[in-house]
Amino acid sequence: MNLSLVRIIAIKELKSIRSEKTIILAILLQLFIAMFSSFLMVGLSAMYDPSMYGRITGIQYGVGFVGNETILFDLFEKEPSFKPYRMDPGIALGALKERQLAAVVWPSETLPDAEDPVTVTLYTISNDIQSTVIEVKIKDILLEYEEILRDIRKDRMDFHPVQVTPSRPVVQNSFYEFIYGLLIPMLLFMPAIISAGLVIDLITEEYQQQTLDTLRSTPATLEEIVYGKILACILLIPFQAGLWLILLTINGIHIVSLIEVLLHVVLTSAALVLIAAAIAVYYRDRTKAQFIFSTAVIIVLLLILAFPSNPINLIVLLASGGAPFYHWGVMAAMASGCLIMIILVRNLVMKIEYR
Amino acid sequence: MEAVHQLLTIAIWEIKRFSKTMTRDLLPVAIVLLVLLVAVSGFTAQKGIHLQDGMYRIGIDSPIYLDIIGSDPRYLAYSLPSDVQNIRALGLDLAIRTGSLLRTNSDKGAAAQKSFERDYQSYQDYLYRQQEDLFASYPVWVDSEYVVSELDFLATQSGQQISAPRRATDQPPVPEEPEIDIALPSGIAPSDMEDLRIQLEMEAARGTDQLGRYTDIIQQQEALGDIRIPSMLSPPLPFDTIIFIFVFIFPLYFSSQFFMMSIMNERTLRQGEALIASPVSPSIIILGKMLPYAGGMVLIVMAILCSVKADIAAILPLIPVILFFLSFALFIGMVSRSYKELSFISIFFSTIATSYLFFPSIFANVHIVSLLSPVTLVVHVIDGTGYTLTDYLYSTTLFYLTSIILFVVCVQNFHEEQLFTEKSLHETVALYLGALISTRYWYFSLILITVMTIPFVFMAQMMYLVLFFNLPMPFSLILIMVLAALTEELVKAAGFIGLITHRHPALSWRVVILSAFLIGFGFLLGEKLLLFATISQIADSIFGAALFLSVGLLWIPFLLHSGTVLITGITLKIWGRGALPLGVIVATIVHTVYNLYMLRGWVW
Repeated sequence: MNLSLVRIIAIKELKSIRSEKTIILAILLQLFIAMFSSFLMVGLSAMYDPSMYGRITGIQYGVGFVGNETILFDLFEKEPSFKPYRMDPGIALGALKERQLAAVVWPSETLPDAEDPVTVTLYTISNDIQSTVIEVKIKDILLEYEEILRDIRKDRMDFHPVQVTPSRPVVQNSFYEFIYGLLIPMLLFMPAIISAGLVIDLITEEYQQQTLDTLRSTPATLEEIVYGKILACILLIPFQAGLWLILLTINGIHIVSLIEVLLHVVLTSAALVLIAAAIAVYYRDRTKAQFIFSTAVIIVLLLILAFPSNPINLIVLLASGGAPFYHWGVMAAMASGCLIMIILVRNLVMKIEYR
Repeated sequence: MEAVHQLLTIAIWEIKRFSKTMTRDLLPVAIVLLVLLVAVSGFTAQKGIHLQDGMYRIGIDSPIYLDIIGSDPRYLAYSLPSDVQNIRALGLDLAIRTGSLLRTNSDKGAAAQKSFERDYQSYQDYLYRQQEDLFASYPVWVDSEYVVSELDFLATQSGQQISAPRRATDQPPVPEEPEIDIALPSGIAPSDMEDLRIQLEMEAARGTDQLGRYTDIIQQQEALGDIRIPSMLSPPLPFDTIIFIFVFIFPLYFSSQFFMMSIMNERTLRQGEALIASPVSPSIIILGKMLPYAGGMVLIVMAILCSVKADIAAILPLIPVILFFLSFALFIGMVSRSYKELSFISIFFSTIATSYLFFPSIFANVHIVSLLSPVTLVVHVIDGTGYTLTDYLYSTTLFYLTSIILFVVCVQNFHEEQLFTEKSLHETVALYLGALISTRYWYFSLILITVMTIPFVFMAQMMYLVLFFNLPMPFSLILIMVLAALTEELVKAAGFIGLITHRHPALSWRVVILSAFLIGFGFLLGEKLLLFATISQIADSIFGAALFLSVGLLWIPFLLHSGTVLITGITLKIWGRGALPLGVIVATIVHTVYNLYMLRGWVW
């Protein structure tokens, strides 16, 4: 195999990708997904943790309080975001409907140490983000109330949980786990999927557009042509993944072991590209190859994720700091996997070429 | 009759062609892969997804704390030396020392503590559920009731991120109309204890089982209605919608890929030349080729709906989505030069389409914006709420309109000259626009092109609204405003581009000025028509004002639209087509300045 021919083919493919400007779409896509994730961070996590909203608004909400229960009323009184009023049920619910109140709370007249539980009926406005916020704030108060009543009734419990008290409270949810545990691996493997799809397109196109014969009339063999295309696609990966890492760093997300992360990404993606290339060489038809490849990718990903210390898990650990040392071993295994794939692709090409 | 016959013939050809791709070398592999897929997902469901394993390190001074961490794989537990001062030096994120939880002073430490607190909660809950006297461990039960307020949409959209209720005053508020018949809340009888315990067990099981969380959603039954303990009182998580999106969109995406490839294959090596040369009209060819795929997609969706035992009516909101995917597949299959371009454009399109469907439906049950996505309607059908005809129109009109317009444009361009060119994407688009200009009635064509772009503009603007409406206030408004102006200027330039590509009439100063007025008129006309038809709800809010500024007087927006497109036109006239970006940018700036002036009360 002539390596300089492989290089020439790779450069030709990279140039054609550049001249078609499709790569711009890929970059736009990256930006769009970055936007997507910022949406997820602000919007979705606000759904998980609407207290974020509460923090921003800083408004005092009026709450209608029906009944004579005092502990709960005092808890509402203590919370600065609420202003409870003792009201008649009809007036309170009427005011809620006209949005003069944010919620109406109606506890049952059960004594704190009674046999029965206290039932709190909570009225809020449906179809409204504000209700979500208020419900979360009220949840905190009710949890406190539950704690007080549980303490009153504690002698009736059979056994008690181990006590652990945080020395410092965590004020608000950071997105740490979401960013490092989900976003980073997802973003870093986007280029892999793009490159694998690309290699299928590049190979099947030569067959289906019948340009392969022209290309083979040059000194390059089929083997070199296929490897050139694979090389071009693999070369794109560190660029795209690197772009992500730069974007993340600009956003103040610190990746602890940058080089190791990049190495894992490149090797794992290279394996995917090689699988895609093998499928493309075998089927020589884009529809078939893409279909088989996308199903295969889902299977491979699911399978990989089922095992601890898989490369994606290791990327999470490397990015957040504190990866086990044996990640080098996994990387070596991945590299040898790539080598095996290279030989496999070669055999496949040979079989086609000389059959 | 003749047309129907031709249509069916082409459809049957297409089915035959498609079944030929499922050859002997593909079908067995595909079946093996599908079996593997089922097996592997079962295996992974059982083993769990190991993505965040060992993310946090925790030091503990007694093994009893292992009960709390339990089987949470995110933690690596170490035994803590008794005399440790600095846990960071040991490489730990968390430590428990004699019942007190320490953490490092970093984001990671905080995240570790937050996750630990969740684990601790479920550990506590597990113990509390086992108590003989359940009402001692869970003394408070909450019954959530939702009150419908007629004001809800306008209030939440009145420009605030969260609509502020009236600030609490010292005196309790007095409603204009007190509620008259109020049902006394029902308490919990002691005999309910075991039912409640079972309900708690079920809720807890749902939380831990990674896949069960998704699969059980539909069959979810609560023993005692909406009565919950305070810790389970949380807003509905959007998990179900996320899953629905992927369950429905993924097959649709794939099937439309097959259609896209079928169109593309007619173009490679001019294979479709014979078909195009035949006396069958392009619309019949396209519809015939599309029919099998559309039928297949409907069948797939029906199969999915049946398998989750949902009402078959849920298919109605998905039909426009199917059309939307097919029309874009047709367009992409017609414009891309090579397979890689096809891949990139289709990935790009499907990401955007998926997020358009996905973002709003996150807010299902929460917010009216959610109704922008037809998938929300599917969610509503499945959870039993249903939808009204207005809801249906509101969320699907844009999908229907954009698909139909795109079909028409593609049919107009489905001939040799356009199909077998090797021009770049934007040149092809320019060519398509040029083909829409009639030589004789070019002024009428200009109005028509502009009216046609309106549904696309609305779709883009809805997207901005959905993406940015939850950013802090002045930013969201300004960002939406600038992007809306940019989109509008971009599509208004379409008329000019068409005119230039068509080369008739020549772009004289007279034509530039006349065209600017025609495009401005067309834009206003289309906007008014569509606004009337569909989205008056959003148009009434401040965001609506930012997006569709023309709700007030008519001649001012007319002058604005004509004026800004005139800027684009003049730039094109002086510097040629290459200056399009410059023209659009200048026009956008003027447009934004005008918008800012009109909305100044909201911004500063």
